[in-house]
Amino acid sequence: MNNSEDTQQSNIITKKDLRRANRRWLMSVCTFNYQSQQGASVVYALSPSLRKIYKDDEDYVEALNNHFQYFNTQPWLASIILGAVLAMEEKQGKEVQRAIQDFKIGIMGPLAGIGDSLLMVLIPTIFGSIAAYMAKEGNPIGIILWFIIILIIFFFRMRCFEFGYKQGMKVITEYGQKLTYITEAASVLGLTVIGALIPSVINLKVLAKFKFGDVTMEIQPLIDQILPSLIPVLITFIVYKLLGYRRMSVTKIIFLVIIFAMILARFGILA
Amino acid sequence: MSFTVLQVILITLLAFIKHIDYYGIPMLFVNYPVFWGLFTGIIVGDVNTGLVVGGTVQLMALGVSGFGGSSVPDYGTTTIIATAIGTKMGIEAGLALGIPVGMLGVQFDVIVKILNGFVVKKSQEYANKKEFKKMNLVLWICPILFGLSAAIPVFISLTLGTTAVNFLLNNMPTWFISGLTLAGNMLPAVGIAMLLRFMPLKQYINYFLIGFVISAFLKMPVIGVAIVGFALAFDLYKRREHEASLNISGGGDNEDE
Repeated sequence: MNNSEDTQQSNIITKKDLRRANRRWLMSVCTFNYQSQQGASVVYALSPSLRKIYKDDEDYVEALNNHFQYFNTQPWLASIILGAVLAMEEKQGKEVQRAIQDFKIGIMGPLAGIGDSLLMVLIPTIFGSIAAYMAKEGNPIGIILWFIIILIIFFFRMRCFEFGYKQGMKVITEYGQKLTYITEAASVLGLTVIGALIPSVINLKVLAKFKFGDVTMEIQPLIDQILPSLIPVLITFIVYKLLGYRRMSVTKIIFLVIIFAMILARFGILA
Repeated sequence: MSFTVLQVILITLLAFIKHIDYYGIPMLFVNYPVFWGLFTGIIVGDVNTGLVVGGTVQLMALGVSGFGGSSVPDYGTTTIIATAIGTKMGIEAGLALGIPVGMLGVQFDVIVKILNGFVVKKSQEYANKKEFKKMNLVLWICPILFGLSAAIPVFISLTLGTTAVNFLLNNMPTWFISGLTLAGNMLPAVGIAMLLRFMPLKQYINYFLIGFVISAFLKMPVIGVAIVGFALAFDLYKRREHEASLNISGGGDNEDE
């Protein structure tokens, strides 16, 4: 058995195993906890494949314990890392446990950066705002459009393990440079859209009026002459500054905005 | 004035499914309000209210997404409650109950993540005892806990909610209701500010200004702005590629395809 190890090991993990691991990785954030974050989901996804690689119980338990450690990244792109991990486990076996954990930790950050900005922020911002506008007028077309995008992404997501397995580490090192350009370009697209969101999404009008004896003067038209959407810009700027303080959580800020809004509404200043 | 038993069951189940989807299985609708508004609208037989509530809350929630395991308000649950209650008592009343319950979602999220810690510890114990089936099986408690963390608040809101909301509406001052409406218009600023914190604003403020100007002054719809943004992004990508090819000119060109 030992002498034929090299030739046999090259196809322990089949396409079917990779698809299965990909499906099981849907567990991703479900086991999220403050100790190992997504670690247990990695175990859940990889365990059937690891069992095939490590016939010996002791080796298997060692590999499982390795994967029970801390892991956290954008779950869709994580599939690529985990596919590559399976390739490493299969080719080099238990000698590289330490290296595998280092690889996972090292690649986690950059992938989370790309994944969060592209998949979790940019796409939901653009398609979410389009869908929301249409929905507010009772039109579901925007939602359907977004759903199509979601399905396309899902199709690719379900193949990421195979991709990662085939490319191993090559993908991240070789395409690394291009990935940074894509992230940069995505930021440009994102910021352009966000710039447009302030005037279109935040609807605020000043109700308060100046009174000079008999003459009343509306404030809103004055503001419009200075800068359309001045009030939304100011509010966004204040919240942006508040978010910079360590002690300000998002939840606290949302509560503050609600309280602030109630005070303004009480005195009829804004609507 | 109240829901049928079947509706309560279906909506509670919808909230359960919503949260399991949100945390991974299969992570299609990621708690995005427009979808859950639509689904709730279908169950209660008022698609239009579902769309309007979903669209409203989606705009409030833009950019609010939990990176790296941070806990954020559960706007999906807000939408389900606000749609369901909204069909009976008006959208404002629905939001008046849905928003506070959604805010509590932060606390529920933290609680489940703490409980998951115990489940995972148990799973690893099974691994060390070589009970591999149980090791995998016990992990299913985690998504169920997440599902319950949305289903239970929705169930309580629907069963007690209408009476509670009725009581509140009759006794609530008008500034509270109009304040909540105003808050609904202001809250998108939080999401946008979060997006700006997350993005390299200082480096690319020029693009941000372009987007602002064509929307604020020229009133271009978001989809048009997105196309302009894409053109600008494409240009930057090409420029970077060009710069890189100049820098390494001579060696290391990869000419695949």
